[in-house]
Amino acid sequence: MIVETMRFGAINIDEDKLITMRGPILGFERLHRYFLFHEEEKNPFGWFQAVDDASVAFVVLDPFIVQPDYEPEISDYDIDLLAIEKREDAVPLVITTLSSRPPMATVNLRAPILINIERRLGKQIVLEETHYAIRHDIAGSNIQRLPDATVLSDLAIKVPRS
Amino acid sequence: MLILTRKLGETIHIGDDIKIVVLDIKGKNLRIGVEAPTHVSVYRGEIYQMIKDENMQAAATGKTLPDIWGLLKKGVTP
Repeated sequence: MIVETMRFGAINIDEDKLITMRGPILGFERLHRYFLFHEEEKNPFGWFQAVDDASVAFVVLDPFIVQPDYEPEISDYDIDLLAIEKREDAVPLVITTLSSRPPMATVNLRAPILINIERRLGKQIVLEETHYAIRHDIAGSNIQRLPDATVLSDLAIKVPRS
Repeated sequence: MLILTRKLGETIHIGDDIKIVVLDIKGKNLRIGVEAPTHVSVYRGEIYQMIKDENMQAAATGKTLPDIWGLLKKGVTP
């Protein structure tokens, strides 16, 4: 199918690569279908693009890059909702926010998008009783090196920059 | 908005399966218990709003996929 995107034009993707949201990204309740793509395999950031609104796309990151011991607590309800059978099928991605004043890039560790990579089902979960920040500064994360592969390497569709 | 006065220990029912109970009152702090089916998400209002606002700002990111090393070394140009 052809998906129109505001930032990258028309992208052709297989329908079986779509991710269906079983719970919304807060504020975007009307959007249920997304897909993940990246432009270069070595860039750990990817795009989480809405299928039904060309203008809505989030920059997402594998949270373990900035928080190696990241361990979001997943409720039994969400495990059922997302039909998660094996722990390794549940993959969190965090949404990146760029601010200009002051220039800063943060990730939202408090409300990750949880994806069942087997079934391609997702939901933004909100962690209660946690110290994870809504605005976790990437620059303050003391990243020593990037992993060779992240979850995005497997999940995302490659869309070369045109 | 429906406005109700409740005493300590009293409840409010919303529909068949949501119950709200006033557990404790200390000065300006109210402790409230919420019983709701698991499919009903219950958030503190300010957390819900903060995450929604953060999502809105994140969705407005421009076309450039950030270069993580660039972010680490010299700040960001959205």
